[in-house]
Amino acid sequence: MKEIIKITFALTISCVVAASAMGLTYTLTAKAKKHNHHMNVQNAMLDLLGYGEDNPAPSDLEFMRIYRYIIDEDGKKIMGYMVPVEKNGDVNYEMILLDLEYNFINKFDVPISPEEAQEVHDRAKALEQVFAPNQSFSYADAAVVAVAGGKRVGYVLPGQFPGFRTFIHALVAMDPSFELLGLEVMEHEEDAGLGAEIEEDYFKNQFVGVTYDKLKTLEVVKKPLPEEYKKYLEREQLKEGALTKEQIDEIRKKYKNADIYAITASTISSKAVTDGVKNVAKKFAYRINKLDDVLDKQNIEIAF
Amino acid sequence: MSTTTKSYGQLFMDGILKENPIFKLALSMCPAVGISTSVMNGILLGTAVLFVQVFSSCTISLVRNYIHPKIRIPTYTLTIATWVTVIDLVLAAYVPVAYKAMGMFVRLIVAFAIITMRLEMFACKEPLGKSFVDGVGMGLGFMVGMVTLGVVRELLGSGELLGYDILGFQPLLFFILPSAGFFVVGLMMGFFNWIEVKYNRRKEG
Repeated sequence: MKEIIKITFALTISCVVAASAMGLTYTLTAKAKKHNHHMNVQNAMLDLLGYGEDNPAPSDLEFMRIYRYIIDEDGKKIMGYMVPVEKNGDVNYEMILLDLEYNFINKFDVPISPEEAQEVHDRAKALEQVFAPNQSFSYADAAVVAVAGGKRVGYVLPGQFPGFRTFIHALVAMDPSFELLGLEVMEHEEDAGLGAEIEEDYFKNQFVGVTYDKLKTLEVVKKPLPEEYKKYLEREQLKEGALTKEQIDEIRKKYKNADIYAITASTISSKAVTDGVKNVAKKFAYRINKLDDVLDKQNIEIAF
Repeated sequence: MSTTTKSYGQLFMDGILKENPIFKLALSMCPAVGISTSVMNGILLGTAVLFVQVFSSCTISLVRNYIHPKIRIPTYTLTIATWVTVIDLVLAAYVPVAYKAMGMFVRLIVAFAIITMRLEMFACKEPLGKSFVDGVGMGLGFMVGMVTLGVVRELLGSGELLGYDILGFQPLLFFILPSAGFFVVGLMMGFFNWIEVKYNRRKEG
């Protein structure tokens, strides 16, 4: 009996020491880690919009973020779009309340800066101040509008959808006409060598250039990926001169609106990503059109 | 209470040659077979093991008189897991470039036999200085083993070294497939033993 107490005591002490060490490290590194994450997302967004070393982003490029909330008002559900608006040259946030048919209900200022608004907790704190006690709100999703030279140059949509193992976190980019600009897989836990191939160029680049009309009927096909198409999709990794400019244009045209070729032995992961992208992109295109109509009718000076 | 009479230099060299974790002790064979497909993988995993081994050995050596003998193994595992987590978090926060390449390897290390084994065989009996040298030797020995395997497999499998095209063609794709790992490790073990036998014979003769 005495020994078991000793063992329990020793193990408890060891666990407490280990937990404290890990907790302390976590606290000390959390800020830098978050900063890295923001930079990763920022770089991935620039990359998706086609900006890089060869094509630097315009100096006035800005990412405007729209946050969508579902609001419960005495049991009745309405929508809230937190949008950036321009007032005297400054960007502030306004909450636009709409019913489920996108009819305007109300709008009010949200006391938060665009930087603070990127944190879900800071947003919640600011929103608690402006909502009435009978309104409860829950965050639904966000969308990023890239603005340059007073025009929209693209949309980046953070999406998460169920994969074969767990949720896949991705960024989907579209141009202003809702043609897909690309897909970037940010986080996933698919199997290495199988579903994990979703982050490879030969898979994710198949989404580039899919038009909005094609997107609605986009399917996954279980056929081997044609060799020339694979070369084209992976052209950034290949040595220069592997494909001539004419060849690239020809292959691009040929596969312009091709379906998605499934990853060998990973049809479920391939389908999950394809359906996820379709879902995210289609819903967003519908919502932003509806939202633009409302904002236009209400003469709201939006910053995007 | 030290049980080893070996000098620091001997301890260090033993980890690399005479008691090489992969070729002589045959520990941590899963990564040796699975990940040794390129020199870069060997260097990254080797570095990660080196750090975790040294930190864990030092920690256990410092508290060696307070570890209850019946819960040695849980204590070792806890120590290794803590160091792995700390290194993982620090890398992710301050060296994101290295983290991208090494993150996966670092997390694998929690279950590496070589580290637990060195804690059990050495660090729990020996003073800090010797445990530190043993940890460095074993960590480097593991790295040397992984890099040696990587050189053979990358050169013969993809015709490259560290990603640079050396041969200009792929001699035998077989060498970068998992099954080749067993063959290369086996042949290397034989080679190491052969050298040792020869060396000992010469010393006697």
